[in-house]
Amino acid sequence: MPISIHTKNLRKTYDYFKKEAGLTGSIKSLFWREKLYNEALKGISLEIEEGELVGFLGPNGAGKTTTLKILSGILYPSGGEASVLGHIPWKREPAYQKQFSIVMGQKNQLWWDLPAQESFTLNREIYEIEDKTYNYNLEELTELFDIKDLIDIPVRKLSMGQRMKCELAAALLHSPKVLFLDEPTIGLDIISQDKIINYIEEYNRLKKTTVLLTSHYMRDVERLCKRVIVINHGAIIYDGSVENLMTTYADHKIIRLRFSSEFTVNGLEKYGEVLERDRLSAVLKTSKSDIARTTSRILNDIPVEDLSVEDVDIEDVIKKIFTG
Amino acid sequence: MLRIITRYLRLYKAFLFQSLKEDMTYRSNFLTLVVMDIGLVSISVILFKVIYGHVNTIAGWTFHQSIILIGTVGIVREMAYLTFRRGFLELGNHIRTGTFDIFMVRPIASNLHLAMRHLSLSESLGEGITGIVLVVYGILHLNNWSWISFPLYILLLFNSLMVYYGFSLIINSIVFWVVRSQELNTIIYFFMETSRYPADIYRGIGKVIFTFIIPIGIIATVPASALTGRLGWDFAILSLIIGISFLGIGLFVWKMSIEHYSSASG
Repeated sequence: MPISIHTKNLRKTYDYFKKEAGLTGSIKSLFWREKLYNEALKGISLEIEEGELVGFLGPNGAGKTTTLKILSGILYPSGGEASVLGHIPWKREPAYQKQFSIVMGQKNQLWWDLPAQESFTLNREIYEIEDKTYNYNLEELTELFDIKDLIDIPVRKLSMGQRMKCELAAALLHSPKVLFLDEPTIGLDIISQDKIINYIEEYNRLKKTTVLLTSHYMRDVERLCKRVIVINHGAIIYDGSVENLMTTYADHKIIRLRFSSEFTVNGLEKYGEVLERDRLSAVLKTSKSDIARTTSRILNDIPVEDLSVEDVDIEDVIKKIFTG
Repeated sequence: MLRIITRYLRLYKAFLFQSLKEDMTYRSNFLTLVVMDIGLVSISVILFKVIYGHVNTIAGWTFHQSIILIGTVGIVREMAYLTFRRGFLELGNHIRTGTFDIFMVRPIASNLHLAMRHLSLSESLGEGITGIVLVVYGILHLNNWSWISFPLYILLLFNSLMVYYGFSLIINSIVFWVVRSQELNTIIYFFMETSRYPADIYRGIGKVIFTFIIPIGIIATVPASALTGRLGWDFAILSLIIGISFLGIGLFVWKMSIEHYSSASG
């Protein structure tokens, strides 16, 4: 498979001014400011093949979004090389811009007061999409994302999940070869989150579009991507298969318990590591491999009103990768 | 070149329709703005009427010539709203919240995309209409008016728009460093307000500054002078040179400045 995205030692340093808190600080900063530097990327090197679906994982401020922004030409890097589809992104050549799309979970690209359909027709002009292709893609995307009834409603009236589906459709109308997704599921409830993930998966399978996706939800990446790149403090700390990452690092689950009556007996330790504990509730960390057995034992032994099982936080997984 | 022009004309049409649809969702706002604009223009006319009650000419301009000048300011402002003006008013927000990202990734020039994204017919429609009315009224009361000056007037109007756009590009480029644009647009607003007065009132160093550095003189005085037969060819050509230079410098400064864009997250 040919290489679609390539970076070598990509670096980005932001400069900003130090400002002390309070009004005095603000006034002082008018006259004297100390320039500070924040190294957001400290040499990112990666290669992504055509048609790959890669998850970019890391806590907030790790450099995921910065990388995506450099690859889409929004930001200029401070050093290093990058090429996407043979183009240098920050030259912002229309020939490149017509071949990729970026969708950002927190930035709305559709016209807020108008139905999504109107933004679609505008995109047809912007990307100079041929009528035949446009009609075909529109049909296909509305079908695939199940948005036939939504595209005639003003965007502001849609729910977040519905809006994200329309955002995705708008970004895919010109059949991009590369798709950057920055936190596409942020703020969505679990059902919408799953749907979006399904659609992305389905689209990638159908079109062989290269997808680079950032998320700080473990489950998105776990379900969607074969390959995952973990980044923290601006450097890649893991690049490989999801299975390997999960078995190696996220080998625990979190069990949250609420007791039906005050439960003061000790001995929760035998089910797992006790993270939090008070009279009516407890949080346990337990091995992933025998989670089913542990929960059934808890339900048997203790008067529990509510029990939920959650993944370990991605931040914890990364912390673990760091500490060893 | 021709292909690029037709492409942008098509895009302009598409964006304009989009903006009109958006405007119509807020119809009452539309009407208020029109009425307000007509009110504001009437105030300047009354002001001039009062002044001309005491003098026959200001720096050689008669009352009716001044009316054409005020009308011309209105027309230029309407043209600006129909092209780029509101985009710059929104620029600060786009940069502060990071939504300027969208203008960096589309296969359209970022400055033109910003302009077209915020086209506004309603915002100074009242000024545009009263502008045309005032210019026509002024013409009817001139005694040395000839049709020949009309094409030159139109040409110089577009030249004024270029000056205005170039100037706005230069001033607004600062926003990529300071992030807030409110104050910057106050400068531009002040600059446009001043254009209501004939540039001939400036003398010496003032004339140089207001022609070459802050080209207030060009915006309204030059087209209005052409229409009222007060403009020599030499100054007309000089104005066109200033127009093209300002646009060129503006585009250059803008291109340099967007490299400094540091997209906000979230």
